[in-house]
Amino acid sequence: MAAKKCFFGMKVDRQVDGDKMNPNFLKKVISEGGDGAAIAACMQCGTCSGGCTNIDRMDLSPRKLILMVQRGDWETVLKSESLWLCTSCYTCTSRCPRGVRPSDVIEAVKAIAIREGIQNDSTRFNQIFVELVQKRGILFEPELMQKYGGMEAMLEQAKLGIQLALKGKMSPFPAKVKDPKKFNEVLEKASQK
Amino acid sequence: MKYSYYPGCSLHTTAKEFDISTQIVMQELGIELQELEDWSCCGGSVAAGVSHDVGMALAARNVALAQKQNLDLLASCSGCYNKSARAVKALENETEKERITAILSEMGISVSDYNIRVRNVVDVLANDIDISAKIKRPLKGLKVACYYGCLLTKPADITGWDSPVFPMSMDKLSKICGAEVVDFRSKTKCCGGPILVPKQDVVFDLTKQLLDEAVSLGADCIVLACPLCATNLELRQPDIEKKYNVSYKLPILYITEIIGLALGIKPGKLGINKHIVSPKPVLDKLGI
Ligand code: SF4
Ligand code: SF4
Repeated sequence: MAAKKCFFGMKVDRQVDGDKMNPNFLKKVISEGGDGAAIAACMQCGTCSGGCTNIDRMDLSPRKLILMVQRGDWETVLKSESLWLCTSCYTCTSRCPRGVRPSDVIEAVKAIAIREGIQNDSTRFNQIFVELVQKRGILFEPELMQKYGGMEAMLEQAKLGIQLALKGKMSPFPAKVKDPKKFNEVLEKASQK
Repeated sequence: MKYSYYPGCSLHTTAKEFDISTQIVMQELGIELQELEDWSCCGGSVAAGVSHDVGMALAARNVALAQKQNLDLLASCSGCYNKSARAVKALENETEKERITAILSEMGISVSDYNIRVRNVVDVLANDIDISAKIKRPLKGLKVACYYGCLLTKPADITGWDSPVFPMSMDKLSKICGAEVVDFRSKTKCCGGPILVPKQDVVFDLTKQLLDEAVSLGADCIVLACPLCATNLELRQPDIEKKYNVSYKLPILYITEIIGLALGIKPGKLGINKHIVSPKPVLDKLGI
């Protein structure tokens, strides 16, 4: 994309660029729960970024991320560390004056990123989390720690684990739904779509 | 009044005191809870970010089960509450409803048109009932910081019963209980919950800021309604103390626990002995 001149001191990318939307990318975002019409409505005011929990640590602010989604700049969006720094806190969505729901857009993009093969600690954790929830229907946290962090994490958390067990807050036996096999099968199929 | 009670994964494990105190407080106030049969995890803030359909089906499954019981759903955990309320809203959208219904029907669960309401225990206690007449042991002299976090009141089109920006329901309840409430500016600042494991350093930093403000305001404890926030603020408090070489020893209590104390219920019956950061300073201050 050709660089644009800075106009009256305004940041170069701070403009509404909805006309350049990439329909294919947008379609994917919508199918993962993003609201297409709302994305197009973003007026780049930056309110979302102003209240964002992790704005200091992000490479793409929520405002900019929405702009990149509007432009269909796949690479920038999918490679952004912001996806994994977003805490799904809904502050952006609560405050957006145009009903854009940046938190939902980020959630959708995260799912797309995982499908596109992006891999890091966060994608690994999120996938293990879902795998284990699907397995029994009820999360068994020790297994999550063990699968994600291995022996090292188990040792690191051993003291807390023992404290919790002594207080009757951790059972060695995982709880489960009545028909975990069916539960898992159906959700596994749904995730393949 | 009767609700279908959805405890969720945390209330049966790390947040057992939230489960125990919810049940006994509701019983004391004459509200009947019937545990949701065969409930499952709501998917938290994670599942829909791996697959939208899986996340929505997980959240909607519990709603559909509550429909079967013909009862409104009551959750104590802010996360379970938020995701269930989100599912109810999604079911109002034709496309979403179709996708969700297709998945759940394969599990043998039907979604009916009977739209139930999803409530959080804070919403019910603050808006439906007048607890002031039942206060037997006012929490005189106790200074509390009410922490709402994210999922209890945000976003407003899913929650809607308190301000998403500067909520007051727990402040109000604490005051009715006789406690002094500090002006906690960080009350809706995120603790980082869902990214705790893969981004521990970031989350410790976010959580430390909350502990710092509560301590600087002279609060005796933080009061909240989210087991995930409590994981950061309480269970990982010793780790944060170690990392930053500070000492907080700040008790973290669920709103139902302090209401229970004010109703005159014995601490042991509320599960207060189950905390990892000792709540003894709070009990001492109240002379209990
Ligand atoms: S607050 Fe809304 S309109 Fe403003 S930049 Fe963010 S998404 Fe766009
Ligand atoms: S949901 Fe994500 S992007 Fe939005 S304010 Fe929270 S951390 Fe920032």
